Amino acid sequence: MSRYFTRLKMKRCYKWGGRPSLCNRKFKSCYYEYVVLCKPDCNKGKWAEVQWFVHFSEVPYNRRKLLGRTPHPQEIFLYEDRTCDGEIDAETIIGSVEVEHLPPDASFPETGQKGTLYFKLCWDTKAFKVVDAEGRHLDDKTPLVSVSVAPTTRVLPTPDATVMKRALSVTLSRVSASAGKLAASEVESGHSASKLSASKFLSRRRRGSCDSTPGVRKKLDLNSEFLISVLLFCTHRAEELPEVSEQTDITPRSKRKSARLVSSRIRKQLNLLNAGEDQVFEDDSGDECFVPSKKDAGSTSEDEESGQAESEDEGISVKKRRLAASCRTPRSSRKAPASARTPHKSSSKKPRTPRHATPGIPSRSLPARKPGNVLEEARARLHVSSVPDSLPCREQEFQDIYSFVESKIVGGNGGCMYISGVPGTGKTATVHEVIRCLQHASEQDELPSFRFIEINGMKMTDPHQAYVQILQKLTNQKATADHAAALLEKRFSNPAPQKETTVLLVDELDLLWTKKQNVMYNLFDWPTRRYARLVVLAIANTMDLPERIMINRVASRLGLTRMSFQPYSFKQLQQIITSRLNQVKAFEEDAVQLVSRKVAALSGDARRCLDICRRATEICEHSSSRQPGSGLVGMAHVMEALDEMFSSSYISAIRCASTQEQLFLRAVIAEFRRLGLEEATFQQVFVQHRALCRMEGLQPISVSEGLAVCQRLGTSRILLLEPSRLDLLLRVRLNVSQDDVLYALKED
Amino acid sequence: MSKRKVKDQQLTVGQCVCQVHRILRERFCFQKLPSAPVGLESQHKHLLELLKRTAIHGESNSVLIVGPRGAGKTMLLKSVLNELLDVKEVKSNILLVQLNGLLQTDDRIALKEITRQLNLENVVGDKVFGSFAENLAFLLEALKKGDRSSSRPVLFTLDEFDLFTHHKNQTLLYNLFDISQSAQTPVAVVGLTCRVDVLELLEKRVKSRFSHRQIQALSPMDFPQYVELVQQQLSLPQEFPDGRFAHEWNNSVKALCEDKSVEDVLRKHFNLSKDFRSLHMLLFLALSCVTPSNPTIKPSLLLEASRLCTMDCKANMLHGLSILELCLIIAMKHLNDHYQDEPFNFEMVYNEFKKFLQRKSHSVHSFEKPVVIKAFEHLQQLELIRPVDGSASRTQKEYQLMKLLLDHTQVMEALQRYPQCPTDVKQWATSAFG
Repeated sequence: MSRYFTRLKMKRCYKWGGRPSLCNRKFKSCYYEYVVLCKPDCNKGKWAEVQWFVHFSEVPYNRRKLLGRTPHPQEIFLYEDRTCDGEIDAETIIGSVEVEHLPPDASFPETGQKGTLYFKLCWDTKAFKVVDAEGRHLDDKTPLVSVSVAPTTRVLPTPDATVMKRALSVTLSRVSASAGKLAASEVESGHSASKLSASKFLSRRRRGSCDSTPGVRKKLDLNSEFLISVLLFCTHRAEELPEVSEQTDITPRSKRKSARLVSSRIRKQLNLLNAGEDQVFEDDSGDECFVPSKKDAGSTSEDEESGQAESEDEGISVKKRRLAASCRTPRSSRKAPASARTPHKSSSKKPRTPRHATPGIPSRSLPARKPGNVLEEARARLHVSSVPDSLPCREQEFQDIYSFVESKIVGGNGGCMYISGVPGTGKTATVHEVIRCLQHASEQDELPSFRFIEINGMKMTDPHQAYVQILQKLTNQKATADHAAALLEKRFSNPAPQKETTVLLVDELDLLWTKKQNVMYNLFDWPTRRYARLVVLAIANTMDLPERIMINRVASRLGLTRMSFQPYSFKQLQQIITSRLNQVKAFEEDAVQLVSRKVAALSGDARRCLDICRRATEICEHSSSRQPGSGLVGMAHVMEALDEMFSSSYISAIRCASTQEQLFLRAVIAEFRRLGLEEATFQQVFVQHRALCRMEGLQPISVSEGLAVCQRLGTSRILLLEPSRLDLLLRVRLNVSQDDVLYALKED
Repeated sequence: MSKRKVKDQQLTVGQCVCQVHRILRERFCFQKLPSAPVGLESQHKHLLELLKRTAIHGESNSVLIVGPRGAGKTMLLKSVLNELLDVKEVKSNILLVQLNGLLQTDDRIALKEITRQLNLENVVGDKVFGSFAENLAFLLEALKKGDRSSSRPVLFTLDEFDLFTHHKNQTLLYNLFDISQSAQTPVAVVGLTCRVDVLELLEKRVKSRFSHRQIQALSPMDFPQYVELVQQQLSLPQEFPDGRFAHEWNNSVKALCEDKSVEDVLRKHFNLSKDFRSLHMLLFLALSCVTPSNPTIKPSLLLEASRLCTMDCKANMLHGLSILELCLIIAMKHLNDHYQDEPFNFEMVYNEFKKFLQRKSHSVHSFEKPVVIKAFEHLQQLELIRPVDGSASRTQKEYQLMKLLLDHTQVMEALQRYPQCPTDVKQWATSAFG
């Protein structure tokens, strides 16, 4: 006890390796920095030289397994980082703790003293290493003082109850010992302690100590700052020191503003505290304050944390942190800027884009219903989106692509492949299937691992965005298009050890066309680089795309590895439907054949085929509700579905048009025949129209009405009209063949 | 006492008429949806089932509703949505995004609007941040994360669908349809358009991804149904406060629809177009003449309304012309007759006009040439004549070639109705020779 007293008064020196006068007073906080005290420098006065230790929980998550064993609860690691300050303000030292160095092979003593900490290894931010005892000048038993250094961080300690208790017991006992001045600050400590889970314990202690020093209260306000900073200091993490100093340079203004603002708020709170101390301890919000979210504990990078600063929980803790900043003692000025760096983030209230907004659609409140009957089951299977177990009818193409990519991955070299085919012939699906198989193989260690990246020309706003997307998927970096291009260029042209092969799928290649074609050029040039190890699979609709739109140097780099997907034949379509249905008996055999023959004759688009089948199941469901049939989708249903999808809507539109509209169409045809042209002005047609009206016994319409009729036909694009106010001189053309019009009009 | 009673009754009539106006105006101005879509029952059922499946089963769909203007496409969609949102299972599940091709004129605006309506995380307040590329990537990522069973289905309605096809590369449509055809967040894309040829506007890959479902909002309505519809539209509902008045009103409406002249008017309208908007226009005009002193719709009101609706605007404009301008129009008509619709210039017209003055005119004074030129220019401003394409401003004004934008019938009709038209002008117009 006396030790603290003297230290604070700067009267006593600590000798290295000296035994602590009070061994039973230990201090342990979760994120300690332990300090080995040495020469107290008279000039510097309050500076103490320290050595840092970290607790296992301080080690970043991703490095933890480097230890290779579960750490002992009382184990700590010597922290070696050149960027750390070797000196700290002696004022910030809270208490002492015993640290024992164990040889690497020794086991942890089972019945060690409760407060004693042990260390075997050192942690140099990258790996655990064995400590060489001599170099460290460490005795077997070293008294250490736990120190709070640089004030706050965004990272908070886990509320380890025992730890906090102890921490506070140290503080409090010290407080009571140092009487006057320090005892005053104790109330303050109680306030911050209420933020700890150990609040109850504290309250007991605090009250006790308060009673013991009744005359102290008055000084509360004056000294209230001190303890807060001390307490909060234990939350510091060694790694943060360097960052912290950087931060302060960047935003000094906002910090100060917010700090001032907050400090006034804090003052208010403190006054409140003085009024009713007991209230403080019921304050639950304090608990959250020191509960860090999981991410917090593990995060080391600047980016992650800044994102989190927005979260509600943190808002509170940050406020408390600001408190420390504003209330700091002038003496601890060295750490002060760091403590103030958080506020400027949370205090800015103006809306801005959350940098790390996670995209997502809210999830549904009620679960999706499962298909109830055979038809619904069939419909779900026939939906284009459902991923089939296998891709029938593309075995040859699959094999070719597979062997191409496999050989490149095994050989560790790059290459391009161009895949063409009309829409709906399974190009993208086949490539995805290949990649799935390859990934499976590499998981089984049959293949070296590789990365798969997919970009789609349609899913970007500008061809140059391709670079941005590739870079983002490759390295999770964001950059502008030009910068991304430069980075990728560097990445693919420089040798790097252990680089894995990258497989890049470029869908809708033709949309990456630019005037200079530099995007395409780069995409096909990178694979030819020696160290790139890049495989590019380019997909487009047209077979002769390289010849048609690419300039020679691009086409030459694309090479001659080409593959073309033929439209599906009716047998293949039939097989696709059957394999999709997979034993679900919903279709008659003939019906499937009809659909596939029809689609194969028109386009060979598998999507179309599946859509028609899906529609047919709906029609079947409808009709079976009216008149119970076999429950299978038959020819009639398929015919109806085909009709709906393929029949020209012009004819039904003409049939449903009004009488005058139909007459007008007739007049258009009559005028065309008279002129022998496929075009006439409205005036000419209108003459015919009036004549037809008379023939039909209808009242002739006025020019305005006639024009309205004409425009109506124009908006539904049965007629093609000029887009201007030409009035009578409007030129009229038919958008349908004359035969279709006559056919549609004949039936009435 | 009796006097007061009469007064009371009149007041109720006034109130009744007020009520009638309110109810019918709601109907005619599209503020209120009809309880059931008329003539579109099967389409209604089809669409409802389709959207229900998306909402309940999480099945992605895409559909186009095609029909001429005023056929009830929006009404169909709205009534389906109303019905859909009445189902509790659906209401809590579905997200609605409504776009209009006239408002979202390019993909950038459309994306912002989608993100805003979906309330995604990069929306702060009412604003969407980030560049176009970022927004697209963000939205696609968001939609990709979902899957069929767990995420809420999103219903996209694209009004004026054909305008979306003019966006660059059709990026938006490609992505929407691509999502609807892949195992991502379930979406239903409903497009409304009046263009029959809309599928031809889609790019081939976009077209392949579209499910090719089209709902034709066409009703094969015939005339008796049309008359029935008119009667239904004019009738007062059961809930009308004054039962007696409603009864009388409904009877009068019934009588109205059976009237011969009214039937002629309606048939003319029906022949012209079947769309609801023009019908509502007609009924609305008739309704606005209903007053407390005249509390029923009479056939004469409907005839008057029909006259207003079918009026020829060009012929009306001719009524406001001066005699000189009218003479010039007649001169042009004669020139058209002589030269088979070949274009003319001012000098020709002036010449023709002078010939008329020399030969026949008694009442029309000779005008100086600048005055005639002024009249000619006025006609051009009224767009009754317009310069022929290509004969640009290089030629002198007097020799610029013009064409008449009036039909002979319009000229003659206007002359008949022209107030105090000099007889020699009339004669000149009707004579075969200029």
